[in-house]
Amino acid sequence: MDLLELINFYVIPGIVLGSIYALGAVGITLIFAILRYAHLAHGDLATLGAFIALASVTALGVSPYIALPIAVIATACVAVGIDKVFYEHLRERPKIVTVMASLGIALMIRAVVQVVWGVDTETYSRGIVRPENYFGLRIRDREVYTVLAMILLVGGLQLFLTRSKWGKAMRAMSDNPNLALLSGIDNKKVVMLTWVIAGGLCAASGFFLGLNTELKALMGWQMLLPMFAAAILGGVGRVEGAVLGGLVVGIAEELSVLVIPSEYKAAMAFAILLFMLLVRPTGLLKGKVL
Amino acid sequence: MTALLSMEGITGGYGDADILQDVTLSVEKDEIVVIVGPNGAGKSTAMKSVFGLLTIRGGKLLFDGDDITGWAPNRIVQRGICYVPQVDNIFREMSIHENLEMGGFLKKGDLSAAYDRVYTLFPDLKERRKTLAGSLSGGQRQMVAMGRALMLDPKLLLLDEPTAGLSPKYMEQIFQICRDVRDTGVAILLVEQHAKQALAFADRGYVLAAGRNRHEGTGADLLADREVAEMFLGG
Repeated sequence: MDLLELINFYVIPGIVLGSIYALGAVGITLIFAILRYAHLAHGDLATLGAFIALASVTALGVSPYIALPIAVIATACVAVGIDKVFYEHLRERPKIVTVMASLGIALMIRAVVQVVWGVDTETYSRGIVRPENYFGLRIRDREVYTVLAMILLVGGLQLFLTRSKWGKAMRAMSDNPNLALLSGIDNKKVVMLTWVIAGGLCAASGFFLGLNTELKALMGWQMLLPMFAAAILGGVGRVEGAVLGGLVVGIAEELSVLVIPSEYKAAMAFAILLFMLLVRPTGLLKGKVL
Repeated sequence: MTALLSMEGITGGYGDADILQDVTLSVEKDEIVVIVGPNGAGKSTAMKSVFGLLTIRGGKLLFDGDDITGWAPNRIVQRGICYVPQVDNIFREMSIHENLEMGGFLKKGDLSAAYDRVYTLFPDLKERRKTLAGSLSGGQRQMVAMGRALMLDPKLLLLDEPTAGLSPKYMEQIFQICRDVRDTGVAILLVEQHAKQALAFADRGYVLAAGRNRHEGTGADLLADREVAEMFLGG
């Protein structure tokens, strides 16, 4: 196998898959940094986002790319709503209670998706898209958009966190919650903002997974482990780490097919997660919490 | 003249246990007041009661004409009292400048006058404004912590053991900064472990023991008092 073949069939799909994981992992890392628990409903929230985009495509007859912002906004609202209705009441309890509750939320969201959209696989648009040929590199348009969208969204988030008043307030809350409260930073607003961002990124993650593969009720749940592996790999609490982690996990999963049967591809994320926890639990870029 | 802050017979504590028993103290405008006493005397607790961080079961807190008993900390901050905890009093992963910005979070509009004031008090910080606060030495961290608290232009600054763990050189520097802060019109109430040095520099002091008032007076008077010297200052 030559280098071009390796890049075309393994590295490029790996980068695309990694970008999708990165979008989810950034949300997981943000929620962990601010609220201090692992959010197990993250994958199914991504599924919901993907299906909301599908509903917009079929109902309004718009292109999937127009449906994306609709899905992002709607999923952000759902995430804030879930927090208000369920998680907010558990804030003073041990964190494990919220983790378990989020598992319940995951099952609830999946059930809603199955009731509304059924259990069959769906796609945003029918037909096969042929990749374009750039000097031997075979790349589909949607793959370019996926990676670009990830870079834009995460870059925008990074700017927001380092430049804006409320972004800095989020970092302050993650850094030292007591001092943030003593400084008069409104905890409730920061939490809400966190859910808006995490929910929106989640929807984008599900949407791009659906765009590059297909939509099914279990799509997000199956992404949960790689997303957590990515967040931990990069160092929990680090946005840039989550992106790096996502790309590493995505590329590793695709490359693993070279040495192990493709049915075991998903085990790659698990192996990476286990390895990191044993060798360097703070992640590649040193995590801020944990 | 009424005091800026007066604690009148405060009884209270965390949860159900009363740590403070009928504690009374006051701080005048333009005054540095220190609370000293043996370990477990309730010094820090007395200070935290001012900031609404414990359950008050008796007594009254008056600040600048308002009864602030039972107010939530964020309301007290807006009323003009800022508090610097003893530990974890900075945002480690943020720059010095960002620490100050967070201190001024509640302030509407332009912060540049507040930055100027803080950087004039702490010229060292201005030079290193982009440095992560977590990478600074203990004394500089204390300056960042005080600077953060001063961003909102408080009338009263509460300092919980600002010199804990600092070298004598830095201790003297922090005390000097306290005087400078007072001279800009901010009253200071602080808790100190280094009783001798603190009484020597403060305008007035209170000695607490077992959650009750024991002695009060000017720093010099307390230092001269035999009983105080024997009880708390190691003779």
